[in-house]
Amino acid sequence: MFDLQFLADAFPVILESLGTTLWVTIASCALAVVLGFMLEILRRSSRQFGFVFRFVTDFIRSTPILVQIYFLYFVLPQFGVTLPALVIGVFSLGLYYSAYLAEVFKAGIDAVPRGQTEAAQSLGLRWTDQVVRVIMPQMLRHIAAPMGNYFVSLLKATPYLAVIAVPEMLGAALELGSDTFRYAEPMVATEIIFLVLAIGIAQLVRVLEIRMMRSAKR
Amino acid sequence: MDFVDILGNIWSGFGTTAGVVALALLYGIPFALVFGTLQHELTGWRRFAVTSFIEFWRSSPIIVLLFVFYYSLPMIRIELSALAVGSMVLGMNIGGYGTQAVRAGLQALDRGQKEAGISLGLSPLQNLLLVQMPQALRAGIPTYINLLIQLIKGTVLVSLLSLADMTFRAKEIAQITFTPAPAYSALLLSYLIICYPLTILGRYLEQRHGSTERRQDV
Repeated sequence: MFDLQFLADAFPVILESLGTTLWVTIASCALAVVLGFMLEILRRSSRQFGFVFRFVTDFIRSTPILVQIYFLYFVLPQFGVTLPALVIGVFSLGLYYSAYLAEVFKAGIDAVPRGQTEAAQSLGLRWTDQVVRVIMPQMLRHIAAPMGNYFVSLLKATPYLAVIAVPEMLGAALELGSDTFRYAEPMVATEIIFLVLAIGIAQLVRVLEIRMMRSAKR
Repeated sequence: MDFVDILGNIWSGFGTTAGVVALALLYGIPFALVFGTLQHELTGWRRFAVTSFIEFWRSSPIIVLLFVFYYSLPMIRIELSALAVGSMVLGMNIGGYGTQAVRAGLQALDRGQKEAGISLGLSPLQNLLLVQMPQALRAGIPTYINLLIQLIKGTVLVSLLSLADMTFRAKEIAQITFTPAPAYSALLLSYLIICYPLTILGRYLEQRHGSTERRQDV
């Protein structure tokens, strides 16, 4: 039978790993933004090799994240690169989502009219000012919502790291399960925690989006 | 084992992978069509109920959902095979994303279409099925292709329930031969062969028709 008492007891045990889950999410998001931006800029700026970066993006998007994690975790050590599971985990999540964010950045850069760059140039702004003060703020408005959605999606992908023994929440739940021979309750507890987190952050993104749209109209 | 043998061995699990995709679609497509429409049409507490059901399937990590149902269903005396549970959970999760595409398609439709249907004397159901749905669905085709890719990649998870799909075979080979590099490279290649054409097709259609839903989250 489903043990409600055990369910209640499972929460504090699993929540001890909440920190790891959030930390992994934030680090991977940061990495994904940097790599995604680089992928898109490189694809744009090189005429001959643009297709290479496009293929890299498509390759990442066409293979399952779990297989990528397995690949990095089991194959890299064969070539003498031994990294902690946590590092592999952050890297694989960051890499996977960078391919999706590259597409978001593409749409964001395309959405800012050329006239804006030209206007900034004719005002005599330096290149850094053109990018940081003219292009980026307008781009941010277009990419904020899709980027936020991918961040939530990344949070939901962190439990994949349990397969390479990163001690995040699903890992903690599986460990509790193997200790007690009861898996159902820890899994339900993990499910509830993730549901609350994911819906909460999604709402936050929506609120930010509405506020941004309002300031855009002014 | 040379690389071709490994590929052959991995592809002997293709039947399972394809079977899970097919079964999942049996859950996902009706779910997306019915609940997407309901979310569009209903108001008040009925809409809230529909939204909650969709969010449950959509907002939780798929790997956690899978374990929840795999371990909890036997507790309420529902004994299902790993294949049945896996395809149900994968299908409902992807169907949850599908509802949003269906709803967005219906919302984006010009009001005049519905009004024209009314003035022709069509019943509300006829209006929905003959006038609104065909247009709404056609607009979402790039999104549905992306969701199909997502579903195919998601089937990797059934290997965690010991179903002998392509990933399960690759893991076996890696363990037997003690050489993970060829096994996991072949596995990456196999998924690339299946999903890459779909990725290209999706991008092509998106460029041609324009995405109805730029902000779809995966």
